[in-house]
Amino acid sequence: MPEVETSNATDVVIKVEHLKKYFPVRRGTFARAKQFLHAVDDLNFEVKKGEVIALVGESGCGKTTTGKTLLRLYEPTDGKITFLNRDVTCIHSAQDRKWLHSKSQMIFQDPFESLNPRKTIFDIVSEPMNVQNEGNLKQREKKVMDILNRVGISPPDTFLWRYPHELSGGQRQRVAIARALVMNPEFVVADEPTSMLDVSIRTQVMTLMMELIHEMHMTFIYITHDLAVARYMADYISVMYLGKMVEYGKTEEIIQNPLHPYTKALISAVPVPDPEFKRKSIQIKGGIGKAIDPPKRCRFYERCPFAKDICAKEEPMLIDVGEGHKVACFLYSKN
Amino acid sequence: MRPVLEVKNLKMYYNTRAGIVKAADDISFTLAQGESMGLVGESGCGKTSVSMSIMRLLAENANIVNGNIYFKGKDIVKLNDEEINKIRWAGIAMIFQAAMNSLNPVYKVGDQIIEAILAHEPNVTFEESRARVAELYKLVGLDPKRMDNYPHEYSGGMKQRAIIAMSLSCNPDIIIADEPTTALDVIVQDMILKEMAKIQKKLNMSMIYISHDIAVIAEVAEKIAIMYAGKIVELSDAVTVFKKPAHPYTVGLMSSFPSIHGEKKKLVTIPGEPPNLLNAPDHCRFAPRCPFATKECWEKMPLYEEISPNHFVACFHPQNLRKQVSKDA
Repeated sequence: MPEVETSNATDVVIKVEHLKKYFPVRRGTFARAKQFLHAVDDLNFEVKKGEVIALVGESGCGKTTTGKTLLRLYEPTDGKITFLNRDVTCIHSAQDRKWLHSKSQMIFQDPFESLNPRKTIFDIVSEPMNVQNEGNLKQREKKVMDILNRVGISPPDTFLWRYPHELSGGQRQRVAIARALVMNPEFVVADEPTSMLDVSIRTQVMTLMMELIHEMHMTFIYITHDLAVARYMADYISVMYLGKMVEYGKTEEIIQNPLHPYTKALISAVPVPDPEFKRKSIQIKGGIGKAIDPPKRCRFYERCPFAKDICAKEEPMLIDVGEGHKVACFLYSKN
Repeated sequence: MRPVLEVKNLKMYYNTRAGIVKAADDISFTLAQGESMGLVGESGCGKTSVSMSIMRLLAENANIVNGNIYFKGKDIVKLNDEEINKIRWAGIAMIFQAAMNSLNPVYKVGDQIIEAILAHEPNVTFEESRARVAELYKLVGLDPKRMDNYPHEYSGGMKQRAIIAMSLSCNPDIIIADEPTTALDVIVQDMILKEMAKIQKKLNMSMIYISHDIAVIAEVAEKIAIMYAGKIVELSDAVTVFKKPAHPYTVGLMSSFPSIHGEKKKLVTIPGEPPNLLNAPDHCRFAPRCPFATKECWEKMPLYEEISPNHFVACFHPQNLRKQVSKDA
């Protein structure tokens, strides 16, 4: 297994080694789990300060599980997560947990469900400060107003005592972003933050997030199924398929020069907003399955138009094919 | 070509306790035999209301207050319930939004399609309809053996294919597809769109695609209508709408969509939010968000006019915009 090369340790925000997350599949209410869904299987990567990485893949590929495991909303099955040079794989004390969540935050997909309908906007946005015991009421109010102003909820004082149902979808997602950013986190995971929003609002929220990322020097993991959005938002793209990272590289490199057959198919299937552009799409067979106790072979084997004998026998490793472009496919291995 | 469907000055309003919601306000378009049209707009712009008016599947508080919908020369608006029932499904079929969840979970998928056939064609025997469903399954790329499975045994893409088979079951002249691929993954979406376009060509049907995604519409539609706040603001063939847009909203919509093809460009955002259609104002509804709005736009409603052959726009200053865009480029 090729280890992740260790770079300057100070600017690595989060580093993941052999991360695994399995979910037990129970066949009956009291039955012991005999099978496991390999939602995330052996991920290795690191994110440096200020980088934006997009996790891309179809539904069920494990991208949300990865995001939640990184923030320790899920307990990892195996592997090691190092966050700001501290091992956070096992959290033993409430203090450690508090520290972790003061530095890392998550923005969820659906702003209609992620905001508590019984709480006011002030309660929602100030809750992280409440948890962290930060400041008195005056200071909290000022901070909430500042961050609301920054995310484009203005004038903020007219929104403080409103409830989520009084806000539009775009405004709600802005509030959700404000809640995530009020503690000045170093690291944010955004899970499809714009997929529930309207077209014209979506661009507004995307532009806002780009500005905030640069302004606050945040490290960002952006989870999306939309490659066009990933291209716009991210510096690096990581393509996932059934719990495995199949390709990783600089955004333009992945878009212009995809190597893995799955990435090629995925990119060729994205519709292009130009009626004169004739897209050549690569046909792959079937649909995405479930990685329940998968056999030891390439997970894309059944659907791959270029599958070779070796693909059925061994699992391909993620190897570097030059300039940080990594791909897990036997078509590109030297031997 | 004689149009199969002609919508003329359609006004469909909802009466609510808070006031009148003008969901479809003065909508006019035609659809020729074998033509595919895209209806694009954000949620709440009235695109589904238009399609529901065409099917006459209206909520209790919804009224068609004005206008005509001619289907093969017959005015749908004036038909009684029995007559409209004959047109539904056999004349105009619809693929509903979130169609994947519209299958009944306790009946076999094949039986649900057979039920639709038998309801409209009482002379057909059960065996004949079963044979027809098998044919339809082959047409949409499903294995006819799967007829006797229940919906939960299908994947999302397969359910969508079954729904398409169901919409084709009575040989309709028009299919209205309301967000047919929104809940699907890209690769499956691509397959379904290809399949639908192929079937449409093969059977020479007319299609109306409804979507918020201009990229999807660009792939499948020959003619595009852009809707904003209950109005069609621009209508023309696909290439004209994409290459020579004349309405500021169309331009905004195009430039706010990230694309995977070509140069990575900066996205332009449309400021503000779509208006509430409750007691909508009498002036141009895009004026509050429009960078080119003048005094005129805040006073009157622009007319829906043909600015060049087959290019309809509802804007006071389509030419100004043209100049502005060419200057920027």
